[in-house]
Amino acid sequence: MEGKLELPEGVVLKVEDLVVKFYTYSGVVHAVSKVSFYVKEGETVALVGETGCGKSVTTRALTRLIESPGRIEEGRVLFRRRNGEVVDLLKVDFETLRQIRGNEIAYIFQDPTSALDPLYTIGFHIHETIEAHVGKIPKKETLRRGIELLRQVLIPSPEVRVKNYPHEMSGGMRQRSVIAISLSNNPRLLIADEPTTNLDVTVQAQILDLLEKLQEQYKMGMILITHNLGIVAEVADRVYVMYAGKIVEEGKTEQIFYNPQHPYTKLLLRAVPDPTKKIEKLESIPGVIPSLINPPPGCRFTDRCPYAMDKCRREEPPLIEVEPGHKATCWLLVKRG
Amino acid sequence: MDFIYILLKKIIWKYAGLREKISPGWIQKNSSRIREWELMAYAYSRSPIGVLGGLIVFVTFILAVIGPMISWEPYWEYKIIINESYRYMPPCLPPSCTGSPLLGTDEWGRDIIAMSLYGIRISFVISIVVVVLGAPLGIILGLIAGYKGGVVDEAIMRITDIFLAFPGLVLAIAFASVLPQRIRGALESNSILRAFFAGLFGLREAEYAQIAALLSIWLAMVLVWWPGYARIVRGSVLSIREMPFIEAAKLSGLSTWSILFRHVLPNVISPVLVMMTFDIATATLFAASLSFLGLGPQEPVPELGFLISKAGYYFPERSSHVVAFLGIILLVMALGWNLLGDALRDILDPRTRRAIEYRMEKEKKK
Amino acid sequence: MGLGTFIARRILTFIPTLIGVLLITYLIAYAIPTDPVRAWVGEKLMNPQTLEQIKAKYKFNAPWYEQFAFLVQQLLTGQLEDPIRHRNVFDEISNRFGVTVEVAIVGFLFLVAIGIPLGLLAAIYKDTPIDFAVRIMALVGSSLPSFVLYYFLILLLFTQFRTTYLAGIPEPSLTCRLSIASWPESIPVLGHIGAALGKVPMFAGIMCGEFDVVGETFKRLYLPGLALGLLNGGFIARIVRNSLLDALSAEFITYAKARGLRKLSVWKHALKNAMVPVVTVLGLNFGGLLSGAIIAETVFNIPGIGRYMYEAILRLNFPVIIACTFLVALVYVTINLVVDILYAIIDPRIRY
Repeated sequence: MEGKLELPEGVVLKVEDLVVKFYTYSGVVHAVSKVSFYVKEGETVALVGETGCGKSVTTRALTRLIESPGRIEEGRVLFRRRNGEVVDLLKVDFETLRQIRGNEIAYIFQDPTSALDPLYTIGFHIHETIEAHVGKIPKKETLRRGIELLRQVLIPSPEVRVKNYPHEMSGGMRQRSVIAISLSNNPRLLIADEPTTNLDVTVQAQILDLLEKLQEQYKMGMILITHNLGIVAEVADRVYVMYAGKIVEEGKTEQIFYNPQHPYTKLLLRAVPDPTKKIEKLESIPGVIPSLINPPPGCRFTDRCPYAMDKCRREEPPLIEVEPGHKATCWLLVKRG
Repeated sequence: MDFIYILLKKIIWKYAGLREKISPGWIQKNSSRIREWELMAYAYSRSPIGVLGGLIVFVTFILAVIGPMISWEPYWEYKIIINESYRYMPPCLPPSCTGSPLLGTDEWGRDIIAMSLYGIRISFVISIVVVVLGAPLGIILGLIAGYKGGVVDEAIMRITDIFLAFPGLVLAIAFASVLPQRIRGALESNSILRAFFAGLFGLREAEYAQIAALLSIWLAMVLVWWPGYARIVRGSVLSIREMPFIEAAKLSGLSTWSILFRHVLPNVISPVLVMMTFDIATATLFAASLSFLGLGPQEPVPELGFLISKAGYYFPERSSHVVAFLGIILLVMALGWNLLGDALRDILDPRTRRAIEYRMEKEKKK
Repeated sequence: MGLGTFIARRILTFIPTLIGVLLITYLIAYAIPTDPVRAWVGEKLMNPQTLEQIKAKYKFNAPWYEQFAFLVQQLLTGQLEDPIRHRNVFDEISNRFGVTVEVAIVGFLFLVAIGIPLGLLAAIYKDTPIDFAVRIMALVGSSLPSFVLYYFLILLLFTQFRTTYLAGIPEPSLTCRLSIASWPESIPVLGHIGAALGKVPMFAGIMCGEFDVVGETFKRLYLPGLALGLLNGGFIARIVRNSLLDALSAEFITYAKARGLRKLSVWKHALKNAMVPVVTVLGLNFGGLLSGAIIAETVFNIPGIGRYMYEAILRLNFPVIIACTFLVALVYVTINLVVDILYAIIDPRIRY
């Protein structure tokens, strides 16, 4: 066993060189390649990128939720528990991991319809989530807590809804129920995978407000996965931009929005319509994500990059710090420096 | 296994060529469909279960076709008339014993291997025809019920329910006890019919009374066979009825029948094909069961179930070899179709199709 | 919609089914060209006088709809008489159905004991030799001619090892049977139910405390039960396997793990979701067994409902045929109802 693990003060989660591969019939999919990031207590970190770039896989790998044929190959996931102890989530025994899941690290899954078991009520989902972590507890107590949670996520008449089955609710209501279930145990770290996609804009704002309030209250860290850059600008403290299984740029939200460095980030920001200007034509990024089976050796964005050079194809660019806390991986930055 | 893939591909292209000749441009128009077929052929050639099943079915088919011709003993000659000791002779395996039938004889002293050649033809013909006649009946009713909905649906489904609730064996038994006399009359008076069915079952025309018994089992089975298909097809139709392409077909003014057959049927046919394959196995066994109960043809017709039931009286002292050998034949015949059906289910499942597609492309690259 | 309305609506759809079944049975019977009365009486005893008497009794000279109405009326009032045995049809049916229920229970136990563990194993060891073996067992089981399996099981377990016997059906003592038969007089509603259940010898034994009857019944009937389990167990195992794998790959299972549920709770979610198709198939199988396994009853010499029906058909015994078909149809719709109710209890979505 190695020595005691440590994390810098105030950091709740630190991921180092995480590698996840899927061993499929068609070949090895390099879904997540050497991803590193950290989350501080009470901080909101956004993970942005196109569909299929490995955002969800990355977050699921944190608590080893990757199912066969997927495998977590390398890396460390250091997590500071409630009692201050620091553990490597990829190494801890299963029972410790189970106690952390849903209790200290909670997930909001993207598709609420398939995340909820159709055969059980919302109240039961909350009940078992609490019971799994505090031991036997009377249903009455968890019911009260459930109603309170549902009220928090702005579900009307929560006393009735808590006894509803998932199919008896609308999509938006289900989404909010999933949020409520995930918050059952006041987690230290919340991983929210597109938490507001099914909601209309007013409710969306209210939910984001709620999450922010909870963050302050419990010093909860949050990883927000989204491709809605509007939300990112509004709630995130820092941003990681992911492309084809790698993080290509990271920095404070203002840094990313006002001073993007990686060509992909630039194109991504340009694809967001600016409401203050007259829209001539919606921008899109030409091309598709490269196959993650035998990905190209150099920069994975080469094929779609307007500034691509020969070197990009051959060698992987290093991570360059542009300004304090703002880093990107691109050969253009090296040349300039 | 590559040999099977190449063979199937050849058949597909032969067929495509034929269609091309009838209506030029067919290949180009249906290139994606041909590709789909090739994919299925590939998937099939990679499935050991499917290949084994196909092989068994092929062998039984060949035996069914040539069996009655190559059988070295006429089934209507009873050896026991010459000598009672011919009854249930035990197997006679070469080194220690030669001269008498290899696997012994049956109730009437006939070589059971020779008799099984007749039996395979009868079982094969019955099982195929029952499914080939029964399934379309159910498919058409299911299509109509699912597509029309409302009162028509309700009426068809109630009738289906009645037939499902009705003990199938009672119907079969009732038919078997009533119909033979009528069919016998028809066969007696119509020599063409008589020759046709005798040829079909590989029997002599003189056995027209027994042929009538076979035909009545047949009819009874067809009648109890369709409800399953009506249900499964109706279910599938309901799920695709509201899809845009059906809506589009309606708007373009196609008639109900052409919508049903051109657009609905191809989309619900996969589970039906799988079910039909499995059902041929079930029908083989069901027909044998009816004859086992004594409802099918009687002597001298060497129907497998009937021979086993006769051997049952002397089981196990004198006749275990007959029960075992004929039982294994029935088992293998049914197993062939079941293996084929199991493989077919995998091949026609869109979830596994993609995996197969990948593998095929990868192998092409090599 | 509540569970009650759901059940009521389902029951209503059964009525046309039952009427339809009766009508078809009758039409088949009516279409039979031979003279049933001759078959009933036998050529030797035939004389014109008795013939006319019987014809009048069963209204053979009346138009078909009157005959049908007469039969249905007799069926519903329980007066139908077996013209060959000259007994009330329902006495005979209830005795024989009791035996069939026993066969069905024993067979069903074997089916569950073989099918469910094998299915779970195949799902857990998916794509391994175990899974493949279960697949092959399912395919061979559904390809075996049942009577051949019966013969060889008899050869092995009766002729060779004498672990069972093939005659008679174990019954509780006469005092036990008499006391159960008297229940309806002393106890209002429960007495009738008890007496009905007591028609099954095994249940009667339990009710009188003569538990050795249960053991004897299993000794007598385990062979057909084992055979039925072997024939269909593989198929059940495949259904269990496939539905469990479907459930295990669902997103809500990953979410359950992400919520830190214990392994047992996660499995509870998977198993409950996998149950719906399994319950359906098991229910239909049990219904099939209750309709009488004619071949098994013939080979194992069991006096059940299947053989009664079979013999009745051979002798054109219409009152018995009608009563038996009605019973089989009733079993079919009842089992369907029970499956539907179980369904609705397991899956709240079905109630809509």
